Amino acid sequence: MSGPILEIHGLNKSFGPTYANRNIDFTLERGEIRGLIGENGSGKSTLLSQIAGIYPPDSGEMFIGGEPYRPKNVQDAYARRVSMVLQELGVVGNLPVAVNVFFGRTKQFTKFGIVDVKAVNRATVEQFERWGLPMPPLNQNVGSMMIETRKMIELTRAMSIEPEILLLDEVTQSLSLNNRQKLYALLETHKKLGHSAIVITHDVEEMIEICDTITVLRDGAVVGSVRCDQTTPDEVKYMMVGREISGGYYREDNDVNDGGDVVLRVSDLSVSGELEDIAFDVHAGEILGFCGLSDSGIHAVGRAVFGLSRHSSGDVYLVPNDLHVTSPTQALRNNMGYVPKDRDAEALMINASIRENFSLPSYTEMEGAAGFISPKRMKKLSSDMVERLSVKCESIMQKASSLSGGNKQKINLGRWLAKDLKLLILDCPTRGVDVGVKAYIYTLMKNAQASGIATILISDELTEVLGMADRLLVMKDGRITKEIRRDENFSEQSVIEVMI
Amino acid sequence: MHPALFFLLFLAAIAVCACIANLLTGGMFLEVSNAKAIFCNCIYPCFVAWALCFMFACGYTDLSLGGVVVLGSFAACACGNAWGYPGLLIGSLVVGTLLVFFNFFIFAFTKIPSWIASISLAMIYEAIAVFLRANTGTRTYFAAELNRSLRGLALWPTNLIVLIIALLIIYVLYNRTGLGMNARAIGGNADVSKVLGININRTLLCIGLLCGILVGFASAIQESYNVLTTAMSGLVSLQMIYKPLAIALLAQVLQKRINIILAVPFCALIIYGIFNLMTFFGVPSGTLQDLVLGAFLILFGAIGQKGTKEVVK
Repeated sequence: MSGPILEIHGLNKSFGPTYANRNIDFTLERGEIRGLIGENGSGKSTLLSQIAGIYPPDSGEMFIGGEPYRPKNVQDAYARRVSMVLQELGVVGNLPVAVNVFFGRTKQFTKFGIVDVKAVNRATVEQFERWGLPMPPLNQNVGSMMIETRKMIELTRAMSIEPEILLLDEVTQSLSLNNRQKLYALLETHKKLGHSAIVITHDVEEMIEICDTITVLRDGAVVGSVRCDQTTPDEVKYMMVGREISGGYYREDNDVNDGGDVVLRVSDLSVSGELEDIAFDVHAGEILGFCGLSDSGIHAVGRAVFGLSRHSSGDVYLVPNDLHVTSPTQALRNNMGYVPKDRDAEALMINASIRENFSLPSYTEMEGAAGFISPKRMKKLSSDMVERLSVKCESIMQKASSLSGGNKQKINLGRWLAKDLKLLILDCPTRGVDVGVKAYIYTLMKNAQASGIATILISDELTEVLGMADRLLVMKDGRITKEIRRDENFSEQSVIEVMI
Repeated sequence: MHPALFFLLFLAAIAVCACIANLLTGGMFLEVSNAKAIFCNCIYPCFVAWALCFMFACGYTDLSLGGVVVLGSFAACACGNAWGYPGLLIGSLVVGTLLVFFNFFIFAFTKIPSWIASISLAMIYEAIAVFLRANTGTRTYFAAELNRSLRGLALWPTNLIVLIIALLIIYVLYNRTGLGMNARAIGGNADVSKVLGININRTLLCIGLLCGILVGFASAIQESYNVLTTAMSGLVSLQMIYKPLAIALLAQVLQKRINIILAVPFCALIIYGIFNLMTFFGVPSGTLQDLVLGAFLILFGAIGQKGTKEVVK
């Protein structure tokens, strides 16, 4: 077969008064991996959602293999071999892995109305093995699994129909280094089969590496497309935001800021099944980085330090406040902040307004003389933060659930910036944010550092921790295996050698 | 721990507790007649608890089920006295199914939170029941006792056979059919379910039908066991479901380790066993027994939730 696999002409989509996609023209060739990039709220996810049958377009036409294509739902899209991995989690927590992989398609395993669960399990194992993805326990409910594992389940589900068009919406941001490599290998295999993919990621360098071409969206419209072998990250960033963003948004110095007073002292901390005897200090004005593979326990560090998980032994001591942290309430009251990785499930009140989400950690600061919370202060705080972080929304009363992933992340992080903090724990703070916001977040981190705030930066992106941290703790199997200082051999290679 | 091993340990724990209770009561607790009485009491609540399990799975709580059981029992009595066992079953199943289906229709399409809507519906059903019993034109049918020859459904060993067959069918429906999986998926994440092509309203209405059948059947057993059902207003019908609710909650606590449908009959035995034991010890029925049950549920719930992670909100 020749000719493009997907053609889109004049596609429009709006939500109320907001235009999400304007007059989109788009062509995807067979065997092509296309990157789709743009600022948060530029309409990337909406475009993919229309291709995947999640939203119907308001107007415009789509063709697959030259045939008209207008999916009414995801099942329609599956029938035309189009599948998508959503940016936000798309699994059902109270169902087991195997059922999640074939959810909505269990009829093929059904006889006389009864689903043959063993057959579903067998088919699931085949899919995980076929695509080289790590297999979680099949009969375990997905809700208890890590975000990364859940993403892998979604990916397996998408691949289980052997899609001609695979749509990946910011999948890599949820994955650690080893699983990213598996995803890249999967895309290679997919391409060799002559199938195509559209990939959204905010990591421009990654996109250039894994894609053949990149299409840039701005304010819902296509700005242009470039071939990856003929462009540079800076050119793509310029197309995205319409202004120069230098590639060097990380720190450029090699200084280690660990001379300040100790703010947090963690000693011999263990959390059952997650962490074993970890110990470290964080100093005022220091950024302490944590990195490791998917099962290394880096994400458990943030939860344990903030008092969210039960310590089986050891101690978390906030030195300036002379406080042994055992609960999040204590942590919150004593100038600690925590930005979790899973923003929808662990951070945001998804059905509450932007105003409430921004205000929540700062209610004490917004109390009036009589002890009542002042709506005026809530409004001011949230309006200021919306403006400062350029959150794309209609009003501060808009529900958090209706925002794009990147804008949700701005709230997730921004609400802590309104507080007077001594220690800030950031778990994948730039997950799902565009380069402009990313640069802004790094500036905020630098400012926090300058003002003496101690920061724990946990990240799946090695370049991020290498770019920002003063010291880096590499973890493996729940233990700290190495400490590398910024003024030492601070390179990807030296870290990867310890991580694997 | 492997679920099968846990289940065996759970059964062993029940057996040990029953033996201790037997010792404490001087051998009366496990006397055949007493054990049978405990078991016979469990049948009707098991069906209502299973219905509640399906409702909880799809995110609903229906507090009007007591009212539905009262009206279903009325229908069972009136139709049973007229046409024997077929009438008993058909009358209760038709009324139970129609009313619970109607409830689900209200929940699904009005989007009123189910517990709020169901309290209003309970008041309506209670009012209808009181009217039917008090009205001179209908009193003959609805204030009458069920013919005692129709008690077989609630008596040993028929009730055991009914329970085992029902357990098998409901287990398969909940765990091994698209309907059961879709219901659990809707309760787990309705948005994802919708995105993956599940017709939410159709699934909810199908679950409504299924729950209606279960509640209808529960009404038939209830009427068969008690022969007469009283009707009162003022949300008194909630009393009809507080034990089934306790059973369903207990089973939900255990579901991390034991399948919820399988857990229901055993939880029913535990709860009715506790009540029975308290009666032996002379604890007054009503308030004090309820106090003990409430405390037991909280304790059991706290143990069951141990280790559940908090989230930052």
